[in-house]
Amino acid sequence: MTPEKVASTPGSPARGPRSNGVPDSPLAAELTRTLGPKKVLSARSERLNYRYDAIQFGETPLAVVLPESTADVVTAVRAARAAGVPVVGRGAASGLSGGAAPLRESLVISFTRMTRLEVFPERREARAQSGVVTLSVTEKARPHGLIYPPDPASFRTSTIGGNLGENAGGPMCFKYGVTGDYVKGLEFVDEGGEVHELTRDAYDLAGLLIGSEGTLGLITEATLRLTPPPRYTRTLMASFPEVGEAAEAVSAAIAAGAVPSKLEFMDRACTNAVEDFLAIGLPREAGAVLLVDTDGDDLETVEEERALVEAACLRAGGTVRRAATDAESAALWQARRSVSPALGRIRPQRMNEDIVVPRSALPDVVREIRALGDASGLPLVQFGHIGDGNLHPNILFDPRRESPAAVHDLAHEIALVAIRHGGVLSGEHGIGTMKRPFMREAVDPVTLGALWSVKHALDPRELLNPGKILPDEHEDAPHAHP
Amino acid sequence: MNNEIPVQSLGPQGEVMAHAVDACVHCGFCLPACPTYAILGDEMDSPRGRIVLMKEVLEGELPLADAAPHLDRCLGCQACVSACPSGVPYGELITSFRGWSEPLRERSPFDRAKRAAILKILPAPRVFSVAARVGQYAKPLAPLLPAALRAPMDLLPEHVPAMQPNARVTPARGRKRGRVAFLAGCAQQALAPNFNAATLRVLARNGIEVVIPEGQGCCGAAALHTGARDEALRLVRQNLRAFDPDEYDAILSNAAGCGAGLKEYPVVVHGLEGEERARAFAAKVQDISEYLGKLLREGDLERPMPTSRPLTVAYHDACHLAHAQKIRLAPRELLRAIPGVTVAEVPEGDLCCGSAGTYNLEQPELANQLGVRKAGNILSTTPDLIASGNIGCHTQIQSHVRRQGSRVPVLHTVEVLDLAYRGEL
Repeated sequence: MTPEKVASTPGSPARGPRSNGVPDSPLAAELTRTLGPKKVLSARSERLNYRYDAIQFGETPLAVVLPESTADVVTAVRAARAAGVPVVGRGAASGLSGGAAPLRESLVISFTRMTRLEVFPERREARAQSGVVTLSVTEKARPHGLIYPPDPASFRTSTIGGNLGENAGGPMCFKYGVTGDYVKGLEFVDEGGEVHELTRDAYDLAGLLIGSEGTLGLITEATLRLTPPPRYTRTLMASFPEVGEAAEAVSAAIAAGAVPSKLEFMDRACTNAVEDFLAIGLPREAGAVLLVDTDGDDLETVEEERALVEAACLRAGGTVRRAATDAESAALWQARRSVSPALGRIRPQRMNEDIVVPRSALPDVVREIRALGDASGLPLVQFGHIGDGNLHPNILFDPRRESPAAVHDLAHEIALVAIRHGGVLSGEHGIGTMKRPFMREAVDPVTLGALWSVKHALDPRELLNPGKILPDEHEDAPHAHP
Repeated sequence: MNNEIPVQSLGPQGEVMAHAVDACVHCGFCLPACPTYAILGDEMDSPRGRIVLMKEVLEGELPLADAAPHLDRCLGCQACVSACPSGVPYGELITSFRGWSEPLRERSPFDRAKRAAILKILPAPRVFSVAARVGQYAKPLAPLLPAALRAPMDLLPEHVPAMQPNARVTPARGRKRGRVAFLAGCAQQALAPNFNAATLRVLARNGIEVVIPEGQGCCGAAALHTGARDEALRLVRQNLRAFDPDEYDAILSNAAGCGAGLKEYPVVVHGLEGEERARAFAAKVQDISEYLGKLLREGDLERPMPTSRPLTVAYHDACHLAHAQKIRLAPRELLRAIPGVTVAEVPEGDLCCGSAGTYNLEQPELANQLGVRKAGNILSTTPDLIASGNIGCHTQIQSHVRRQGSRVPVLHTVEVLDLAYRGEL
């Protein structure tokens, strides 16, 4: 399947759109009766907008529920189950793996109105419903001297529920860990409509739900761990003539004992795309740029770590610029957060990867991927959380100019580079539909069998976000072409 | 995003729309910037959702009437444009779409009459002045009237001032350093005649000769943004005739909405006769704060006198300055150039106040919610003065801060500067 494939049901009779207020399906009618018209979207003009995430267009859902409580979710799940209709959870739909794009006619449960958020400073905890916007947790905790570190690039938009579903990372995660590391407990609704409270002890089922992309249950609330922010942060930007040098600097800096809080990279095409957006004076000529934060409560240590990083960058052939003010540092990080969408300036579509490789292999990996891109003739860019070896090679394309099959082949080759170097396919975006074709190469059959057993145990009817993550159980082909 | 918009059959405006849809990667970065998404929380009322709806309508996949309620709720504030890393020209898209779709809309006779009245009265300062006066006397009757008529009444100030005719040429005082043309605007001549008077005084004091060319009319933004494309084209052509870009250093506006409208002329006449002239014209257009800000940075602005006591000025970013024209710094620098002034940053400063041209007449309920929110945010900075650069924002904010019991003066940025020059702050 190509990204953005606008799905239409072949052979289904074209239903003329009704005017608002008349449900288009028995399920929508039933939900409107039980939940009230305010919480149910049934007109086609409304449902159309719940078929995509930030990478893919899927099937228009049969109905959309906008729950305001866990009880509403239970009602919706039970109605869907009775009708034999799959359920797809959705936050802000800023995800990049197709996780929230329904593959079949489904009920979409959109959590954007479940936004209750409480902060308990004495316990250093927050209790957030799934629809809470990621950044608002830190905003609410900050007056109490606390923050919520996980910071995906989309954190102004994305929701806690989506972050949990994909186990989202972000620049801060190099030192502070990913979403899952900050979860103390979860409430979720299973496929039968039962509500469960999970903690992180015996049978860490919460861990199982985190990153399960809505295929095992629907997370409705979470208890999150908060931490005091570091007292000092220092930011530097290093630019290199060639991507491999940037990767060498990363390995060297970490080997020398530096533990940056953020260690990010973008190649020339990325730098130019965000500079077009923000105009903050990024080095347009550099083959690659590293952005590095060192932080802590002891200024001397923070400066010492920055010096280690600077030395490694200079030795690898880079030039270094320190951010002089907080504003300059904020601008640099805004640039990094904007990379992914800014790529739309180059081509309207992209196939994005999310590989993770051992740090020692980074220089070889980025160079091999660069060479593959050059050989393919397709616009290929690389950026990502290079500190933990998590790279986002993106193939940019316009279906009117480039062949989706060629894009798919290049994506497959890139995935193989990662696997060959002992890496994995997904660091943080999730598998969804985008990486699913490569799962058989990434996961051995015995382990896949175990994953299927878990899926059967928690979702025996395969009603939860079907067609995501796991390849078909009885399909032998390594991967299917679109 | 992928689209099959039939550009051929839609003409030059179709190109504009298809290009915008193409550029959108549906990442969702625009969602938190959008005022209607903040209030309604559903995808159809977000910029990303609206782009998809417009695409579906243009492709013939969705009846216009089904998409219309959500597209009508868009304020056109362009906060999404500032937030968009992909560079989607959303403002051009929604404007072109409204122009294309308006002739296809099924509207009730009352709706049609209301829209026609708005577009008749707004661009005619004298008619507007009379209407405003009538409205002022009818204010006590407001509770008895239907909501559609109550909304404009609520916005009228307690006192509608007399019109002040502006001289066709205001000579520079002292050494003449420049010559500019000025768009006098429409509603603001009736509602806030001092905006123009202060503008002319401040420019003259700085050695700038100001010409108000004969034959100019409404900038056309109101017509354009409500889909009255033929009317907008007529006004655009009228102004392109009235203003010869070669004759002036700059063409100035002191209303953010009008200035943004003038800068849009090349898009309006894209693919039609006069595109070249429109480009030359638009290249000369500047907001008053942009022009004065440049003088300030070059050290050519006369220093204002200090204030009599320290003053906190809450500066409100008009969407059509901050988002449509990317002008944020200049007005703040001008205010800070007055010794004794501290500029306060308004929380949620990027969120539209709800005035948005004719929006508060078309969508009074949403406009009111945004107005209440904006006034609360502004007053939370405990300002001594409130400054903005747009007549629409001005009336909306004034009316809402008064309703919240505050007597803080609401002024145009250039009025604040004018008072400082005269030692009256």
